[in-house]
Amino acid sequence: MASAASTNMNAVRETMDVLLEISRLLNTGLDMESLSICVRLCEQGINPEALSSVIKELRRASDTLKASENSTSQG
Amino acid sequence: MAALDQKSPNVLLQSLCCRITGKSEADVAYQFQYAVRVIGSNYAPTIERDEFLVSEKIKKELLKQRREADAALFSELHRKLQTQGVLKHRWSILYLLLSLCEDPRKPSNRVGNYGTVFAQALPRDAHSTPFYYARPQSLSLSYPERSVLAAHNASSMGTSGIGSLGVYPVNGPGPSPQSLLTGPGAQPIADPSRGSRLAWALPVSGSPSGPSPPTSRPPAGPASVPAARPLQRLRRDGDGSAEISEAALVRDILYVFQGIDGKFIKMCSPENCYKIDSKVPLCKSLRDTSSRLAELGWLHNKVRKYTDSRSLDRAFGLVGQSFCASLHQELKEYYRLLSVLHAQLQVEDDQGVNVGVDSTLTLRRLLVWTYDPKIRLKTLAALVDYCQGRKGGELASAVHAYGKTGDPHMRALVQHILGLVSHPILNFLYRWIYDGELEDTYHEFFVASDPTVKTDRLWHDKYSLRKSMIPSFITMDQARKVLLIGKSINFLHQVCHDRTPPGKILPASKSTDSPKDAAELFTDLEGAFQSKIDAAYFETSKYLLDVLNKNYQLLDHLQAMRRYLLLGQGDFIRHLMDLLKPELARAATTLYQHNLTGILETAVRATNAQFDSPEILKRLDVRLLEVSPGDTGWDVFSLDYHVDGPIATVFTRDCMSHYLRVFNFLWRAKRMEYILTDIWKSQMCNAKLLKSMPELSGVLHQCHILASEMVHFIHQMQYYITFEVLECSWDELWNKVQQAQDLDHIIAAHDVFLDTIISRCLLDSNSRSLLNQLRAVFDQIIEFQNAQDTLYRSALEELQLRVQYEDSKRQRQQEGEWGVTAEQEAAENKRVQDFKDTIPKMCSQLRLLTHFYQGIVQEFLRLLMTSSDESLQFLSFRLDFNEHYKARDPRLRPSLGATRGRRSSNI
Repeated sequence: MASAASTNMNAVRETMDVLLEISRLLNTGLDMESLSICVRLCEQGINPEALSSVIKELRRASDTLKASENSTSQG
Repeated sequence: MAALDQKSPNVLLQSLCCRITGKSEADVAYQFQYAVRVIGSNYAPTIERDEFLVSEKIKKELLKQRREADAALFSELHRKLQTQGVLKHRWSILYLLLSLCEDPRKPSNRVGNYGTVFAQALPRDAHSTPFYYARPQSLSLSYPERSVLAAHNASSMGTSGIGSLGVYPVNGPGPSPQSLLTGPGAQPIADPSRGSRLAWALPVSGSPSGPSPPTSRPPAGPASVPAARPLQRLRRDGDGSAEISEAALVRDILYVFQGIDGKFIKMCSPENCYKIDSKVPLCKSLRDTSSRLAELGWLHNKVRKYTDSRSLDRAFGLVGQSFCASLHQELKEYYRLLSVLHAQLQVEDDQGVNVGVDSTLTLRRLLVWTYDPKIRLKTLAALVDYCQGRKGGELASAVHAYGKTGDPHMRALVQHILGLVSHPILNFLYRWIYDGELEDTYHEFFVASDPTVKTDRLWHDKYSLRKSMIPSFITMDQARKVLLIGKSINFLHQVCHDRTPPGKILPASKSTDSPKDAAELFTDLEGAFQSKIDAAYFETSKYLLDVLNKNYQLLDHLQAMRRYLLLGQGDFIRHLMDLLKPELARAATTLYQHNLTGILETAVRATNAQFDSPEILKRLDVRLLEVSPGDTGWDVFSLDYHVDGPIATVFTRDCMSHYLRVFNFLWRAKRMEYILTDIWKSQMCNAKLLKSMPELSGVLHQCHILASEMVHFIHQMQYYITFEVLECSWDELWNKVQQAQDLDHIIAAHDVFLDTIISRCLLDSNSRSLLNQLRAVFDQIIEFQNAQDTLYRSALEELQLRVQYEDSKRQRQQEGEWGVTAEQEAAENKRVQDFKDTIPKMCSQLRLLTHFYQGIVQEFLRLLMTSSDESLQFLSFRLDFNEHYKARDPRLRPSLGATRGRRSSNI
């Protein structure tokens, strides 16, 4: 049982490594944790198109926030 | 980094929000709300769930970024991923990664250039499918251009623009991104470009109420973007007037090409041509060019109209349908060109017009590009015109006629169409010559069948050639052979009841040819097609003749006809006549068929006819013709020969009636010979007896002279009939039948044979007067026989009485009495005197007869000499070899005699 769980664990880890490598190749800008969240979401069957749009919007929002913060702090 | 446990999506989403923005949960509440709404609306993905496709896309993307090594690395990783099988939705995560992909070579200065990138990228793809890979060629065209254009703001977002495009359209009018961006918690997003991006996104999604200040094309993006555009547009508009631009005309023309009215160029129905609205201001050269281009639309309409009207018409037949199909094929080719042109136009529109002058669509370019299609369409339109109202083989002929051109392109085009069109004909043909089946519902094939014809006339009447449907690439000779082949097969099946499968008749394997072969076969008339037809023809005909000869003894029957109906079997005919003589001398009404049939059988048994095959003898029969008052048996008797089954195809009813007529004539002539033989016999027998009556010698001499005259005439007649008519024609017929290749040859030869006999025997309508004279001669012979019979009877009676008288005289003398008493002697003398008194009467009767006879013969000879038939002229020469009749009749010395006479008068 335990060995099965550990092999399963290993497989998961390998998978995640591979995915991270692909992510790096594609320069998606996702770190390990975001990627694992995304993978989990995808595995639950949500639409990747929607997810990608959400991520982009989030990034954009945070960027604008940061920029405005910078400008306010500078100003 | 826990296991992939099942947390709820919301929790995951929230942690994702925190992770990306780097803020606490409370701070990202709005973003989280937005994310939940987007995800929660749970729209169906617009892409196919195909892992392979996505991976291919990724590879392509990497290649585009010139990272071949990374692409290879990715395939390796992907393969690894596939082998592990932990993930269920591999395509999903891969797609996500692809969507988030960024080109690492470009600095990711995201904030500043989002708007511009979107503003530029979206319109280009707005009308295409959301997948950029759907239009690879337009991509390759557009990328360098765009990078040039957007060089100053480093267009790093080319792909992400596309990716997001896949999102927004489906996003729908529901949860707008604006809710996120302009929400209360949102930071200032005063970027004007974002507004325009949304404005572009919405119309695409199909919402009618998009906020639409900049809906016109070319897109009015930020002013900075297409700085070069107005300039370009101006240049492209060419002649730079206030008129419609050339681009608009091009667009119009493209519609006209499909037969749709454009904005400016419209179908002018009274003149039946495309015209530019005369009110539209346009310079003359453009107007001319577009008129020339519009012709294509007209041609297209013409062809299209024909195919539309015809393809639903079932009665148009298979050939017509394949013609329509071939036209459709050509039109499809044409549509392909149009779609390429459209795509080109689309590309230009999407990119603005910054593609450069080199590759824009202009009217002149169109003129060049549509040059070939125009010629093709012209040919098609001409074909359509020419083929109007034609169908079947006629249509194939029409198409074939168009293939006779020197232009190799046109010839190839027509050849192709011809191939398709003639394919059904070839199918008909193969069905017909190999199986004898005619599956021609729409009467397109050149062999027609008449279903009302019964099997007994199958060969003659059932099948015929439809002359109009013979395609011009099939010669008349071939068509006839084709007809004959199928007819033979049907004849074998239906009349001969021969159940040999067609495959056995024809060892040559039949192959179903493709349309291409069909065209080649038909055009190459000397070669394969001819040999195929010939092979089928020879095999089938040979087989048919074999069956007829072996199973149905056609040739034996032919010989039987010759022997019995044409009196070839001499001993049998002579014997039959001997036996029939007493019967036939009676009145025709007292004759009974069964009696005659019995006599016929006796005659057969007694002569060589008995060795004939029973098959033939059982067909031999007696037939009594219609009786008219005063007829004797001789007039109505006739032999008959029963024919049925396949044989009846050669010996038709007409043929048999001809045979009967000839038989009657020959029978009559034979009877004359027979009578004269009798006359001669009685003359020979009685000559010695009547020597004791010198007072008769004059009359008898007259008789002998007349009889020999008649014998001479009849002998020459018989010689003529037997040798010059029957034997010659028969020999000809027999040779022809031996060499015949098909049944038609035999039938034709047989018909010729019968015709010759009929005309030579003076039975045709031309020689009716001759025949009448001949009949009169025959009548004179019969009359002479009667006269001579009565002469001999009275003479013999007288002779007998005299002998009796002498005998009784001698007896009395021996008894010692007086030989005769006075009164006895007186009575005797009176009787002798009476007899002698009858002699001059006989003399005059004979003289009269001779006179009549000679008159008739002279008339006959005169007619013979004026006859056009050489053999009849020879006959006249032979009949009057010693010029006996010529000396008596001045009319018998026509041209030759006349010249001789003139010469003598000159001297």
